[in-house]
Amino acid sequence: MNRFASPTGPRSVSAGIGWRHPHYAELLTTRPSLDFLEVHSENFFAAGGAALAVLQQARTIYPVSLHGVGLALGSALGVDLWHLDQLARLVDRIEPVRVSDHACFARGTVHGKLVHAGDLLPIPFNDESLDVLCANVQQVQERLKRPLMVENLSAYLTLVGSDRSETEFLTALTRRTGCQLLVDVNNIYVNALNARMTGEQAGDPVSVCQAWLDQIPSNAVGEIHLAGHCVMDDIVIDDHGSRVTADVWRIYAYAINRFGAVPSLIEWDIAVPTLSVLLGEAQQARALALSCGGQPELVG
Amino acid sequence: MSSSTSLALAQQALLQALYLPRQSDAIKCIAAHAQGVRAEGQNHLERRLQAYRSNGQVLAQRVLAAAYPVVAQLVGAESFEALSRHFWQSHAPDCGDLAQWGGGFAAFLAALQDLVGEEPYLPDVARVEWALHASATAADGQADMASFALLESHEPSAITLLLSAGVTGLASSFPVVSIVQAHLAGEPSLQQAGERLRGQVQEAALVWRQGLKPSLRHAQPGELLFIAALQENHPLADALAAAPEFDFNPWLVPAVQTGLLLGASAL
Repeated sequence: MNRFASPTGPRSVSAGIGWRHPHYAELLTTRPSLDFLEVHSENFFAAGGAALAVLQQARTIYPVSLHGVGLALGSALGVDLWHLDQLARLVDRIEPVRVSDHACFARGTVHGKLVHAGDLLPIPFNDESLDVLCANVQQVQERLKRPLMVENLSAYLTLVGSDRSETEFLTALTRRTGCQLLVDVNNIYVNALNARMTGEQAGDPVSVCQAWLDQIPSNAVGEIHLAGHCVMDDIVIDDHGSRVTADVWRIYAYAINRFGAVPSLIEWDIAVPTLSVLLGEAQQARALALSCGGQPELVG
Repeated sequence: MSSSTSLALAQQALLQALYLPRQSDAIKCIAAHAQGVRAEGQNHLERRLQAYRSNGQVLAQRVLAAAYPVVAQLVGAESFEALSRHFWQSHAPDCGDLAQWGGGFAAFLAALQDLVGEEPYLPDVARVEWALHASATAADGQADMASFALLESHEPSAITLLLSAGVTGLASSFPVVSIVQAHLAGEPSLQQAGERLRGQVQEAALVWRQGLKPSLRHAQPGELLFIAALQENHPLADALAAAPEFDFNPWLVPAVQTGLLLGASAL
């Protein structure tokens, strides 16, 4: 049951960027106005060294959100306790504003050997999978003594056995564990485009995404991710390698009208552009959130 | 949790499919667990699975290139990509912090007879690079300058010395320090490193962290034995006895100045 109270009340607009290595030095030197930084937790698991020192320096300037890619919360094998220990130590060191990871699996055994895929692999939407995900999320929350945010995937495969929609599944997760959702609107869109490509889903992808958002309780979302994707002939890849598209901005506007001005993040992980491009994208998110009645609040 | 549930079996099948060398075998592996999608005469399942398989292989190459930039330069981009793919398939990561993955790359290279027949120094280069990679994330050490007074006040048998984080020594049959430094720092030049290689020069490498910066230099005669004894917490007197070639007095001050030596402690 929910032992972790989620924040309530009116929200200030909060826009941040995924902070990656090419921008470590420039951001610390120029200190642009940003509401928060988000980093991949695993990049700072080290006991010491330069990366951790840089993050600790950034933490003196900006709130930091820790976004994991390796907890593998949907793994039937369970959560890696070593990984959880590293995350707990980092949380203690950084005191992040939020901690998040994904509704995915990555751990398991192959021929009796433990394997971690280093990827965000899809899980079916059924009771068995929900039980596993809830147990793992609860374990992480108990260890960290704070609520987790769980992100929806862009999934290229569908494992057999789903008996409900993704939104029903995620909503049940929030109700059973008290976690919040980190809604990646680009992921919803990528899934909609891929489903249209294979004929699994008809209709305008933007409308499909808006319907997806309508099925999520308005108080269940704690953060939104925005990113670019790559459209190929036979698949759409969520590569975080370009600007947010016009359609995804439309879906984002719809999302913040529904969920309020929740903290919003620009992710850009390959072919990382100049910092000014990232800041421009964050500014666009901020402007959209403000147009929906959010209150300004800048740090840095 | 049970590992025999249908969920566990499906997850196991997909994981196995990611590491199989052949796509056709991977498809067979997940056929019973993934929803097939056929549209316009195309089997999208194959393409979808390939997206994950490719992602893993690209990730492997990126992670290994970050840890082994010199090996990557030495073998060339195409060979490094192939080596990364094979290493990924044969030595899958077992934890979600991929910076921890890749420590077995030197042994993997050493087992490739054709490769080491042509470039026999590659495994040692990889060992030095992994030591540098590991030292970058080792726990920060704090120098205790006052503790060096113990060198005056105590007998060598009653104290030991405290070394920097991530100290690693490696004795090689190749000029491994020259090869790595030529590629990473340009000093010596690639030409000079090549001459030392042709001259069958043998070098001993010392890796440590200077503040936050991983560092590499030639080990002095006997220095690796001396350091190995200190790492086992032996008294200074025993460490000196273990390394009769080692000249302690001229070593001491530069070792403190470069952050290799952090302090002394009484036993």
